[in-house]
Amino acid sequence: MGEEHYLDNDEKSVVIVMTSGPSTAHRCATPFYIGSILASMDSDVSVFFTMEGALLAKKGVADNLTAMKGGKTILEFIRDAKIAGVKFHLCKPAMPGYEIEVDDVIPEINEISNASKLADLILSCDKALFF
Amino acid sequence: MECNGCEFRPELYYDDQYQIWVRREEDGTFTIGMTDISQSIAGKILHVRVRKPGTLRPNGKPVATIESGKWAGPVPNVFDCVIVEANHTVLEDPNLLNIEPYEAWIARVKPSGSIEDSLSVLVSGDVAQAGYCERTQRDDIHCERGAR
Repeated sequence: MGEEHYLDNDEKSVVIVMTSGPSTAHRCATPFYIGSILASMDSDVSVFFTMEGALLAKKGVADNLTAMKGGKTILEFIRDAKIAGVKFHLCKPAMPGYEIEVDDVIPEINEISNASKLADLILSCDKALFF
Repeated sequence: MECNGCEFRPELYYDDQYQIWVRREEDGTFTIGMTDISQSIAGKILHVRVRKPGTLRPNGKPVATIESGKWAGPVPNVFDCVIVEANHTVLEDPNLLNIEPYEAWIARVKPSGSIEDSLSVLVSGDVAQAGYCERTQRDDIHCERGAR
């Protein structure tokens, strides 16, 4: 029996910094997929939407975007990750540049956060991933 | 019986979202698997990983993770338990979960509390049947077997 089938990791904290957005849709599904797996493995996972990634948190964007033709929408990947326990932060300083109002933000976002929150997350986490 | 083509087994216990089924065994352990609803939502399952035997799993901490081509997530756990064993046949061939979800169990666990307390957080019988059908209708889930 292969040991690779068993999970024995300790709890870790992981930050996924999501900078990809609609202009590179093919990069927008996997970060949420890996976030779902990490959360399922007991990791404390936060996704921080910033730069063009902030647009994924705007209503009407992720639900009309797929990473590949005929695939699930990015919003569905975001919801799967949310169900698995991933927490979502939206970068407040990025919002004006992408014309995102608070009322435009999808309900899956847990917190609209300042850049210092991202700094805290990065400095305190075990692993940081950038997409 | 079926709801939207999703098989329901009346002798089993379920979580309130009908993601997992639980069977009470004579030795005091519980066997856990995915429902027909869950395997259909996941699509072809490519990988299953289970916590090592002897690992304590508190309420809310998954017993396993599932990966398919379009979905990744936990096999949830709704009571405190310890992993007793994994189904090696399923670990080696996860697609069995798509073919026979009620035969292809994932893990066997021992509840940390009393059997009655653990079962009290699950639903069964007519309540489970009604809830299972309501879930398939509410989320427009139509089950398919054997996704490859």
